[in-house]
Amino acid sequence: MSFEYHEPTSIADAVALGARFGEAGRFLAGGTDLIIQMRRGRVAPRHVLSLHRVTGLDRIEVDGAVRLGALVTHRAIEQCPHFQGPLGALVEGAEVIGGHQIRNVATVGGNIVNASPAADVVPVLLALNATVTCLGPDGERTLPLGGFLSGPGQTARRPGELLTSIRFDRLPPRSATAFLKAGRRKAMEIAVVCVAVRLTLDAARERCQEARIALGAVAPTTMRAGAAERALEGQPLTDEILRRAGRLAAGECAPIDDVRASARYRRLLVETLVPRALRRCLDRIGRAA
Amino acid sequence: MSIETRVVGKSLPRLDAAGKVTGTAVYAADFALPGMLHGKILRSREPHARLVRIDAGRALALPGVRAVITATDVLDVRYGGGLKDETVFARDRVRYVGQPVAAVAATTREAAEAALAAIDVVYEPLPAVLDLEAALAPGAPLIHEAWQTYTAIPILHREGNVCQRARIVVGDMERGFAEADRVFEHEFRTAMVHQGYTEPRAAVAAWDSAGQVTVWSNTQLPFEIQNTLAEILALPPSKIRVIVPGIGGGFGGKLRVGVEHFAALLARRTGRPVKVVTTSEEELTAAYPRQGTRVELKTGVTRDGRITAKEGRIWFDTGAFAGSGPGVASVATLVLAGPYRIPNLLLEGYAVYTNKTNCGSFRAPSGPQSNFAVESQMDMIADALGLDPLDFRLKNIVREGDEGPTGQVLEAVGLEECLRRAADAIGWRDRRPAPGRGKGLACGWWTTTGGSSGVYVKINPDGSVAMNTGAAEIGTAALTGAAQVLAEELGVDLADISVVSADTFATPFDFGAQGSRTAFAVGNACRAAVADLRRQLFGLAAAQLGVDAEALTLRDKAVVADGKRIALAELARLSQASGGGLIAHGTFIAPPTPYDAKRVEAHVYPAFHSPSFHAHAVDLSVDRETGEVTVHRYVVAQDVGFAMNPRYIEGQIEGGVAQGLGQALSEEIVYENGRVLNPNLTDYKMPTSLDLPRVESILVEHPSLVGPYGAKGVGEPPNIEPPAAVANAVAAATGVRITTLPITAEKIALALRGEGPA
Repeated sequence: MSFEYHEPTSIADAVALGARFGEAGRFLAGGTDLIIQMRRGRVAPRHVLSLHRVTGLDRIEVDGAVRLGALVTHRAIEQCPHFQGPLGALVEGAEVIGGHQIRNVATVGGNIVNASPAADVVPVLLALNATVTCLGPDGERTLPLGGFLSGPGQTARRPGELLTSIRFDRLPPRSATAFLKAGRRKAMEIAVVCVAVRLTLDAARERCQEARIALGAVAPTTMRAGAAERALEGQPLTDEILRRAGRLAAGECAPIDDVRASARYRRLLVETLVPRALRRCLDRIGRAA
Repeated sequence: MSIETRVVGKSLPRLDAAGKVTGTAVYAADFALPGMLHGKILRSREPHARLVRIDAGRALALPGVRAVITATDVLDVRYGGGLKDETVFARDRVRYVGQPVAAVAATTREAAEAALAAIDVVYEPLPAVLDLEAALAPGAPLIHEAWQTYTAIPILHREGNVCQRARIVVGDMERGFAEADRVFEHEFRTAMVHQGYTEPRAAVAAWDSAGQVTVWSNTQLPFEIQNTLAEILALPPSKIRVIVPGIGGGFGGKLRVGVEHFAALLARRTGRPVKVVTTSEEELTAAYPRQGTRVELKTGVTRDGRITAKEGRIWFDTGAFAGSGPGVASVATLVLAGPYRIPNLLLEGYAVYTNKTNCGSFRAPSGPQSNFAVESQMDMIADALGLDPLDFRLKNIVREGDEGPTGQVLEAVGLEECLRRAADAIGWRDRRPAPGRGKGLACGWWTTTGGSSGVYVKINPDGSVAMNTGAAEIGTAALTGAAQVLAEELGVDLADISVVSADTFATPFDFGAQGSRTAFAVGNACRAAVADLRRQLFGLAAAQLGVDAEALTLRDKAVVADGKRIALAELARLSQASGGGLIAHGTFIAPPTPYDAKRVEAHVYPAFHSPSFHAHAVDLSVDRETGEVTVHRYVVAQDVGFAMNPRYIEGQIEGGVAQGLGQALSEEIVYENGRVLNPNLTDYKMPTSLDLPRVESILVEHPSLVGPYGAKGVGEPPNIEPPAAVANAVAAATGVRITTLPITAEKIALALRGEGPA
């Protein structure tokens, strides 16, 4: 493993280096995915562009919307006071990644760019309709997260482009989120299935106004369960409706058999965890009332 | 125990604690020499293939590469334990993915890795034997066509792909099953699992001008490695020095030669010291894991719950070479009998070759696999008969003076106390306290491995004591336990003792840190050394004090009599001035355990020495939708004979349970078409601290006749019962019986839905 190591000190310098090296360069954030891939020989960048000295990318800004700098760590998400309420699924997703040492360095931007279908925080962001902003030689562009993720390890990021921030709206009243993960152990675990749900009730608190369901580890990318969402919207959230959403989600995902689990079990988990996460949201909205 | 002791039996801090907690202790993987090269192993990519050609030309031309060696560079020697079927490198055929094909020495690890990638190997694939069924099928390809020509201990029963079949036969099976009201037949399977030691296998080798090689390695058995290297290198063992600097865990995985021979061969070829350290991938594809098994049990029981007969067979998938298979298959039959009175027995253990990695020994070899089957079936039978599983066990367990399966007379049997105390502690009578929650029990017995141990004990002129042992401290604190025996008997403090260990040139012989024997055997050797030192000390002291030697005793770092006293330090100085100093060689070998030879066939381990007895109880919940298991409490009641150091015995119990829960719930090396699918610690799932419950230890003391102060072996047993205890608790919690390990959430969830395994 041999490469040149660069330490740009500003976003502009980082983007300039990214443009210069293109496919031969890789940005290094927390390194918890990149280093492993380099050690296993899966990637061999000739230039590693460390972002450690770039300032301003590790901020969490909350006003009408929430903006996460790409270098915000999972630990920072876990500890952010703005995420303790209706946005709690962010904390639930962040706190089950790796162990403490991993979460202290692993970044949310890195997690998105790594584009693992089993990423834990990505489904939460997808359920929040997040957008991502990239900066490259041709300037800045903002894409919906769902469109950004294109396959396992693949995104719409262009060579040399730097993901700088993630943005999503704060939730309207009568909303909650929930995240659930199934795996063989309780830490240091890659999800067998993970589910993130965002739910908003109507003014009468009787029917679903808006539902977003995102699934991890059951398709080539983190995916939205659109049919399940549509089956909920406008409906009274009876247990039967919730379970129907679970069955629909299980039907529309596309899991594979691998060493971690069978496709059949993954569907069973989706069918179970989707209504469970929705019930958790209902419970949270109820308690907040 | 009512013996008053000062040192032994106390929870004193271990002698190596400070170095280990401050990070200054040197492990084998830390060890380095000036000018050292780095060695790497090229391993087979094919499960079974003809090795057509190896071309190292490109590799040798790379910068930093100092040597590439293959089968043509080493003597054509087959080595191994009871069955010598292994070679250093594959010669004309590879038999598993991971088998060594070549080794490289280079100035850096990276250069060595680059060289591996540049060695061209041409394989011609052969049909592979991928599992037990394929290996045992009529007309199955032979893994070793020349198996009959291999050297083996004559007692082994071998035939084709079966490299051992051990048997126990007792009574009359036909009559036994005729006396039963019900006969139960069940099949079980267990997965291949790795010991999970923190430190990979590591060795540094260096040759000197006299043609002697020194190997610093994290082996558990330095004397065994010395002899194996002597065979491989065709040198007298006296030319081979093996030193164990420190071991970051072994659990049986570091009994056999791992990387020592590669280091020695590469060092000889290059004339430089060479270090070889395995990677996680090598550990999970080419180490000495625990064998996967299939078990069939047929048990006859009367209506009121008395076992009349048991027929059992266990097949060990031992991989492409025998490894520990023949021994493990033998030991298994004793575990299959269970700690129960059963008048009629037919038990067989098979070790079977397949095209997988060579399996070895893992903490209580054969124990968890056999016990999982036996103790799962005990609960299945109890349920079928409407009996409480605890009552059913109490009705059948062995008691003081009973015969073991091979006729050994059982003494110091603490099993009933273990079962009752474990059950009480877990709250057994409320077995299903809530929906989805259940409690499980399992019990068993195990051996304290024999073999001899020697120690040199020297009293220094400052009154401190040097204990020199050939045993390695593998992390259990066993040598602290032995030192506590020594301190007790010599009348000194534990802190007065320093330990030198595990150097085949400088320390006396020891059978090695294996089989729960170290504290037991080294402790007894220390007692023998003290008996000798007492004679030396009392002879000197009698003359100095002017008293009769018979009147003397050892107390408080001195020899005392009738108000007179002379310090050990003073006597050591006197001895140095007159007689070469105070030193003794203490030795111990466990006496043979008598058994009935007519009951066994082809058996290499026919009786359990100073057997220990134990019961485990677990309280857990199962998520009925996802199958996820949460372990709330875990209780172990273990008959340790005498607790030499209660704190470290509890440590052994906690660690053994953690490892056992991994095997119960999450760990498996998964093979597909002869290749490991999860050769990394991301997908080989050892439990984390968040997965483990608090483990409660109950130390039961029925003193053995042989062990120091009545101690029995304690290290391995805690690893035996967790899979069975968990299986029984899962069944209590859900009504679903999982008969294969690991008991994953997936298996439970699918079974709860009435679906079979995927």
